[in-house]
Amino acid sequence: MSTTTRKVVIAGVMGAISIFLGVTHLGFIPWLAGAALTIMHVPVIIGAVLEGPLVGLVIGLIFGAFSLLQAAIAPTGPADVWFTNPLVSIVPRLFIGPVAWLSYKALRAINEALSLVIAGIAGTLTNTVLVLGVLGLYHFLPWPLIGTIAITNGLPEAVIAAIITLAVVAAWKRIETGRKSSAV
Amino acid sequence: MSKVLEFELIGHVTIGQYLPTGSILHRLDPRAKLLMGLLLIGAVVVSHSLVGLTALLLAVLVGLVLACVPVPFALAGLRPMLPFLMLLALLQVFTIPQHAATATVLWRWSILTMTDRGLLAGILLIGRFSVMVLGLSLFSFSTTTTEFTHGLEHLLRPWQRFGLPAHELALIVNIAIHFLPILAEETERLMKAQASRGADFGRGQRNFIKRARKLLPLLVPLFLVSLQRAEHLIEAMEARCYVGGKGRTHLIHLQMQLSDYVALATALGLAAFAIQLSITHADQVLWHWIFMNR
Repeated sequence: MSTTTRKVVIAGVMGAISIFLGVTHLGFIPWLAGAALTIMHVPVIIGAVLEGPLVGLVIGLIFGAFSLLQAAIAPTGPADVWFTNPLVSIVPRLFIGPVAWLSYKALRAINEALSLVIAGIAGTLTNTVLVLGVLGLYHFLPWPLIGTIAITNGLPEAVIAAIITLAVVAAWKRIETGRKSSAV
Repeated sequence: MSKVLEFELIGHVTIGQYLPTGSILHRLDPRAKLLMGLLLIGAVVVSHSLVGLTALLLAVLVGLVLACVPVPFALAGLRPMLPFLMLLALLQVFTIPQHAATATVLWRWSILTMTDRGLLAGILLIGRFSVMVLGLSLFSFSTTTTEFTHGLEHLLRPWQRFGLPAHELALIVNIAIHFLPILAEETERLMKAQASRGADFGRGQRNFIKRARKLLPLLVPLFLVSLQRAEHLIEAMEARCYVGGKGRTHLIHLQMQLSDYVALATALGLAAFAIQLSITHADQVLWHWIFMNR
């Protein structure tokens, strides 16, 4: 089975899920003070874990390009003004996939389920830290506020991403997660 | 009725709305249109000039007329977000750094201060959004998704020499676009299946943990179903001997015509004009002049 066909198709389909979660607002969970939690980056993590860093990078690019378009066309909050800047919306997202893949690869030999959880957390935190970091460098937000957002938004997002990544990849690859029945 | 609408997702997925009017813009090379779109986005993001933005807005409106798209129809796309835009603009008006030494105070009421800078920022915000939205709709009205992916592939091809997989990237975008309606359909099916088992996907749900728990039985199967669909697609492609972009010939060959070059040159000129006005602070000068001479 050719690896390129697989990579191309998985990247396309995961990119589509990311866009779909954004378009339908299924990917946003209302949270404190109107700052919604997002899970649009989860397809990036799953794609990277399944097919490697390059696929993760491409899905991240699709996610980023789409969040730029969405911020411009159908804004959901005042913060969207910042996301019309590609340095905020696209560049940080390129790193989600490679980081998630690296953490998965590094820990896989020890415990596959654990490595999936860590990949979900690492990928999410990459997104949080880099996006907020760029916002901080642009002086859009004061640094103490950024720290607060990183904790109030980044941590719950990381937990949700870890749960979904584990559930999906474990079910897909039929990895034992300790449950008796199916992983889903 | 509202119960039925709760499961309507396909309505959200209307990115590529194509209007086959066969106008002069429809017949332009998709590469030229893509480049013009990039130039427009670049100019809109970079330019801080009101005059420049007005010029870009006029150009997009002329484009809509040239594309034989009814302008009120295109403007209708702006209407749903107008209240929101207004709110954003107001936020900008009152939160742009007031302490800038050069800013002139126009209006003050208790803690609210409106400076010329803030007002300009608010107007620019609305202008920028309008130009972006109208420009992107103009692109989608006049370009089919197939033309778009062909154009993308042709544009990326020169970089193939440096190892960029142009064909594969274009194919990924193509697959992503064509999977959207499939995903919408699958999600509707999943939502109905879960609802028939007693799940409630009420949108008004504020409790975070509850919302997250409700999403899981929807998202996990959605990912798995999509992966299955992907698996089928891979098999179908391989059964038809798909081997990637190497040595592939094309049914459609894009040829740039004189009209494409003219259109591209016009867009380049406009973008340069808007950015140039922004660099020289042309309208800050104008703005100050208007308010100083009142």
